[in-house]
Amino acid sequence: MTDVYVIGAGIIPFARHEASSLTDLSVEAAYQAIKDSGIVPHRIDSGYFASVLGGRLFGDSTLGQSVFAEVGISGGPIVNIENACASGSSAVCLAYNALSAGQSDYAIVVGAEKMCVPGLGLLNSGESDIETKLGLVTPASFALRAQRHMYEFGTTLEQMAQVSVKNRRHAAANPIAFFRQPVTLEEVLNAPMITDPLTRPQCCPMADGAAALVLASGSAISNNKRAIKINAAVLTSGSYQNPIDLVRWETDQRSCRLAYEKAGMGPDDLDLVECHDAFTIAEIIHYEALGLCEVGEGGRLVAEGATSLGGRIPVNVSGGLIGRGHPVAATGVAQIVEVVAQLRGEAKERQVDGAKVGLAHCMGADRQGDARSCTVAILSS
Amino acid sequence: MPARLKENTAPEAGATELLPPVQEGIFSLPAAGETGGPRLMGGYCRACERYHFPRERHCHRCLGPVEAADLGDSGVIYSFTAVRAKPPLGLPQPYAVGFVDLAANGLRVFALLDPDCVDHFKIGAPVILAVKPLGHDGKGRPCLRPYFTLQQHPAESEA
Ligand SMILES: [Zn+2]
Repeated sequence: MTDVYVIGAGIIPFARHEASSLTDLSVEAAYQAIKDSGIVPHRIDSGYFASVLGGRLFGDSTLGQSVFAEVGISGGPIVNIENACASGSSAVCLAYNALSAGQSDYAIVVGAEKMCVPGLGLLNSGESDIETKLGLVTPASFALRAQRHMYEFGTTLEQMAQVSVKNRRHAAANPIAFFRQPVTLEEVLNAPMITDPLTRPQCCPMADGAAALVLASGSAISNNKRAIKINAAVLTSGSYQNPIDLVRWETDQRSCRLAYEKAGMGPDDLDLVECHDAFTIAEIIHYEALGLCEVGEGGRLVAEGATSLGGRIPVNVSGGLIGRGHPVAATGVAQIVEVVAQLRGEAKERQVDGAKVGLAHCMGADRQGDARSCTVAILSS
Repeated sequence: MPARLKENTAPEAGATELLPPVQEGIFSLPAAGETGGPRLMGGYCRACERYHFPRERHCHRCLGPVEAADLGDSGVIYSFTAVRAKPPLGLPQPYAVGFVDLAANGLRVFALLDPDCVDHFKIGAPVILAVKPLGHDGKGRPCLRPYFTLQQHPAESEA
């Protein structure tokens, strides 16, 4: 096993990019990451490209080859990846595995999405899926967890709304975030209901965006002072147990445990977390799976400020999906771009003081009350 | 509205019977002249003594053969929500979904809940299966969907 490092990171603003194509967005992020890495593109010998909706909305296929050719990368293995919301982070895991096995010296990963198009509607887990046919939409799958969390642990509407208030406050300090305006608790609670009890600001907004990373094997980095080590990068899938427990999320807990085990670390070692806050309740349940607090205590953890910038364990200082926006396949890469910026000490107003270890956690799609894909990566400076 | 409940569980002859189910094999309707309501249908593996919904092609545990199984028509609500945003598939606005713990075998299944009772569901409430034309199949064709409704209808308890 060779050590693997991130040596380059790039991201474009998460926004409505009406005039740009998916390729435009992707090429810009890739260009930034390669420039940031300081290496010449022809040394990058493998590429991983993630997009969820490119095929469906624009009829794209094998877009990765087009994107990477535009930044001077060709000839080696290039793979196009779709794993729902965890597509980008799944691509990072595949790159990590290839580098760590000595199959590649330098790899590029791009996650990109263009989804601000008319009539897209609420996302689901595939039109042929029985649950989609019976009316499941992604916000409902998390509303069902929220109802159960409130019922079992007394989690309150205010505690859930605090996740939006915190992440929107964080996003206001992130120049690439979709939302730059903070919201108040009252605004979150009084906003239109999407699916009970989740109001609109408790659901992440769709956005166009792209993020990119250049990864290098340990033998290739020489003495690059800005290189950030990947201590673990795991990819799992759901176990689809029946009866499924919607609040003690086995797949979430198992994935976090596996990453800690591989990194030889635990929750106490972390200085910051980027997690998959597609909906406010998701962030609360992920706190519990990550061991930041006991199961059932996630609502209280956010309400007491522990997960705010300046708190005991800041979560989603980038603004998370709720504040930064959620261009589906870009998200998993963007989370790692943020962790890298933090561990390099380059995050400016949103810098976590003295951050040495960060974790990025991402999840994708629903099946039988479970997630279909889950990734957890731990990085250190 | 107890009459409506009956109408739902024993579909009238005519249009309803001609409509296809949203997916084959997930429920059964009483034959003409039979009493009783619709039943949720799934699969069963004899070797593993395991029920599942929807029916698996092969048992997910042993890859052995599975047979069609009657999963009953009742259960209790494990969790529920009302979807108030623009609905997919021609479903009513608002509509409700949830997970139901089936009385017959303990399976926890995702289900549509009665759109006429959106504001009356509670965790732990007993529910019973019904079938009626509800929304379309994704290509704009109306279809039958199974859904669970409250065993004690709110209109009845208020009366
Ligand atoms: Zn079996």
